[in-house]
Amino acid sequence: MKKYFSLIKASMSEGMNLFKISSKKKNATSKIVIPIFLALTLMGVMFSYATSIMEKLHEVHMEYVLLTLFILLTSVLTFIEGIYKSGSLLFNCKDDNLLLSLPIKKSVVLFIRVFKFYVFELLYNSIFLLPAIVVYAMYVKPDISYYVVSVIGIFLFPIIPILLSCILGAIITFASSKFKGKNIIQTVFTIALILGIMYLSSNMENLFVNIANNASNLNETITNIYYPAGVFIELATSFNIIKLVEFIVVHIILFALAIALTGKIYFKINSGSKSIRKSRSNKAYKIKSKKPICALITKEFSRFINSPVFVINAGFGLVLFIIACVSLVVKFDEAISNLIAMDAIFTAEYLKSYIPIILLGLISGCSFMTSITSSMISLEGKSFNILKSLPVKPYTVVQSKVLAAILIMVPCLLIGDIIVFVKFQFDMISTVLCLIASVLFPLLAETIGILVNLKYPRMDAKNDTEVVKQSMSSAISVFIGMILVGVTIYMLYSLVGTNLSNNAIMAICIGVFGIAYFALLMILNKTATKSFNDIDV
Amino acid sequence: MIEIKNVTKKYGDNVALKNVSFTVNDGEIFAFIGHNGAGKTTLIKSIVGIHEFDEGEILINGKSIKIDSINCKKEMAFVPDNPELYEQMKAIDFINFICDMYEVSQKKREENIKKYAKMFDIEKNLNDTIESFSHGMKQKVALISALAHNPKVLIMDEPFVGLDPKAVYDVKEIMNEMIKDGKIIFFSTHILDVAEKLCSRVAIIKKGELLKVGSMNEIKGDTSLEQVFLELEG
Repeated sequence: MKKYFSLIKASMSEGMNLFKISSKKKNATSKIVIPIFLALTLMGVMFSYATSIMEKLHEVHMEYVLLTLFILLTSVLTFIEGIYKSGSLLFNCKDDNLLLSLPIKKSVVLFIRVFKFYVFELLYNSIFLLPAIVVYAMYVKPDISYYVVSVIGIFLFPIIPILLSCILGAIITFASSKFKGKNIIQTVFTIALILGIMYLSSNMENLFVNIANNASNLNETITNIYYPAGVFIELATSFNIIKLVEFIVVHIILFALAIALTGKIYFKINSGSKSIRKSRSNKAYKIKSKKPICALITKEFSRFINSPVFVINAGFGLVLFIIACVSLVVKFDEAISNLIAMDAIFTAEYLKSYIPIILLGLISGCSFMTSITSSMISLEGKSFNILKSLPVKPYTVVQSKVLAAILIMVPCLLIGDIIVFVKFQFDMISTVLCLIASVLFPLLAETIGILVNLKYPRMDAKNDTEVVKQSMSSAISVFIGMILVGVTIYMLYSLVGTNLSNNAIMAICIGVFGIAYFALLMILNKTATKSFNDIDV
Repeated sequence: MIEIKNVTKKYGDNVALKNVSFTVNDGEIFAFIGHNGAGKTTLIKSIVGIHEFDEGEILINGKSIKIDSINCKKEMAFVPDNPELYEQMKAIDFINFICDMYEVSQKKREENIKKYAKMFDIEKNLNDTIESFSHGMKQKVALISALAHNPKVLIMDEPFVGLDPKAVYDVKEIMNEMIKDGKIIFFSTHILDVAEKLCSRVAIIKKGELLKVGSMNEIKGDTSLEQVFLELEG
């Protein structure tokens, strides 16, 4: 037993350390204060959301619905994220040779990997769930059993979504390993699956209506579908020790069964996913020269394309942006007629005039929430020394990373822009402003990303997921992105009420971010070389 | 010429290099030997500009690696002990990438890549991704990349580890050819026999301090390099 604990300890300390920063200044502030600050801020935001929902629910004495909604939210998030994270966390581990050569059962190796995934999701879910649990307690003032059930629930909720997403992730990895360009196939499969799930869930109104007809309300609808939410609400509202034991046992059995049954298949898929197809053709290799900056950009692009978790994490927002633009075009007429029917003062032309503002908001949301560069330094890993030994200025390397990210993002934004431009026929100024935003906002986001990654690099990650999803750099960049989206919405919202024209509002918004970009560019220019050289691998 | 002057490098309180000074002349094969953790890789990484050092100076053909690092690097090539290459790239793309960084002309790179790929018997594998390669194959790709731009100074960290006997022989031949043109080969190794047979000069380092530096005859006299090394280490 002792060896298993040692194994879990070693594995956790190596792979799960979100707070690990490969920087010279490993001070307490960076290691502890920033992650705690980020977590507490997110919890604060969740607390305010939970409170505002609870105020409405309290009026109709349906406080428990809050718990149902938050359990569902965290479960869906864990499930969707898990689909693309599991491919990397379970199948691209660098410690395969070490672990498989040790005198331990293969199922233990699988258990450790799923357990690591579970612990991370447990921490992540707690940020969302704890505020809801506290808000419920504040309004309902339940007895001690509620707190006991809540603590147990927090530990159990991630299990089912993780198991389901691991199974789907394994299927995708298995299927893609059969093809030549397995990374690209894996990325396409995963994005298609996630979009499919999202499409299905948005088209399940009829199913929900049917269930809702048999159940009395939304809560029953959800609890009838999702076992953990159903049992938890039952336990939270009327405690029953037998039900609690059943709740725990069901989860443990599911976890143990999944590990035992999938153990053999997992290692087959794992070895299959590592087999690399060699070129069988005798095609002559090509020797061609490029300018250094072009070669660096090509290298970054190749790194991006070959990492499914990186593409999905960064590319998903871009795909959603295009979908949002298409939806705006397709659904606008229907929405306009509904709005006009509701309030006669609106005219189609009046509402149409706000489309550029909406598009600017969408560009902001997509750009600021998509930080590609926040992982690019960390993903170099040990090969970072190649860059350091080359006769290229560090600033050029940094620039190439930002440019590669821009080349990935801007075309997607332009596709969305053009779809909207064609339908709504923007005037010249609005068109130009949206085009400027489609270049400026990604530049700002990616400059922030690279600055954060230079400050908080993670050069010893075991796989890409640890960098893209579980590193300090990506967490800080997402946090800053959320703030910037908030700033955009606040600016647009507060200026729309004034006498300013829509173009003037957009120009002000772009101007503010333009100033921020040039300020950050100067900081990058000044600090990039030192930060780059300070990174020791 | 490589001039290493009073170089000191610390990791926190731990002194990795303590006041190290020596010179490597043009047309020399210079071996740098020491036990694991003695500071060999730290010094090599300082020479090639990967690590910054706290005190002292390193000059490559009269240029300071601290002040004029880009021009210093243009004259050098570095082959690491454990080649961490870009695994997702095809071997030929990686070699092309390194050539692009050194701005090697199309003609020169075609000539060199073909020559070394043939020598290391890796021509058929150049279209494969690096992740499919063994350690030795990766080492060959790293060597071709390093040699493709005709460096004046070749720095290698344990260059023979993982190579097959034929490749070891080829690397030795390349080293001998390079010094005939007045170039510099500086490498670290644990294989003392190779160092003894191949090198004109040698330096021995222990716990960051240089114990001995000189020509092979000065260092070993009538005994073997192995014996001298063991005595010094003892």
